[in-house]
Amino acid sequence: MMTFVATVLGSFTTPMRIGTDPASMLWLLPLVVSIAVVYKATKVYRIQPWPFAKESAVLVGSIVVFIVVAAIILYGITWIVTEQLPPLLDKSVF
Amino acid sequence: MAQSWKENHALFLISTGAMAWLVPGAGHYALNEKRRALVIFVSLVLTFLVGLYVGSIGVIDPVHAKPWYAAQVMNSPLVMLLGRIGAAGNYRVFGRANEIGQIYTSIAGLLNLLCIVNAVYTAHLRSVGEAQA
Repeated sequence: MMTFVATVLGSFTTPMRIGTDPASMLWLLPLVVSIAVVYKATKVYRIQPWPFAKESAVLVGSIVVFIVVAAIILYGITWIVTEQLPPLLDKSVF
Repeated sequence: MAQSWKENHALFLISTGAMAWLVPGAGHYALNEKRRALVIFVSLVLTFLVGLYVGSIGVIDPVHAKPWYAAQVMNSPLVMLLGRIGAAGNYRVFGRANEIGQIYTSIAGLLNLLCIVNAVYTAHLRSVGEAQA
């Protein structure tokens, strides 16, 4: 029992290895779920399992869709600034 | 009479806020909102523990990461104890694990701040409602 407790506590003293690849962005999903659940817990009049789960799921979906749209827009702006603008600026209009 | 009600009211709000800070969800539990308290407690404790597991205890750093620490302390006063343990040992952590750990633990703290404010406001509304009835 003590070995188990020591192992569990010990796992909180060494960080996980997380790369900087795009897959690491998936770490945002549990956080979004937590934010949505706690926010809804403070907002709904009464907590009933099914309506509460449905409202939280809708909020999670809304946040994720907004993040994806924001990412696409930012990617588009970056693509224009780094790929499209430099050749245009090199050409003389005269 | 009015002075006594005001004193009791202030004490009630302060004790509710203190309970909500001490244990996430305890403020709502004291207001007999047991389901809400359970949802808040489970969500916030899980988020905080995931942050600690990902980044280790080193993400609570009262010396080198003061703004993050200010948000983390909103979870519970127990975070101060973890901060002291972290500062005493050699648990510095860098890179993506540090970022994710800090974000998780700090967001959990800020969400608990939201719950503290909500519990105090609910306590205020109930107290005023009872006084008017």
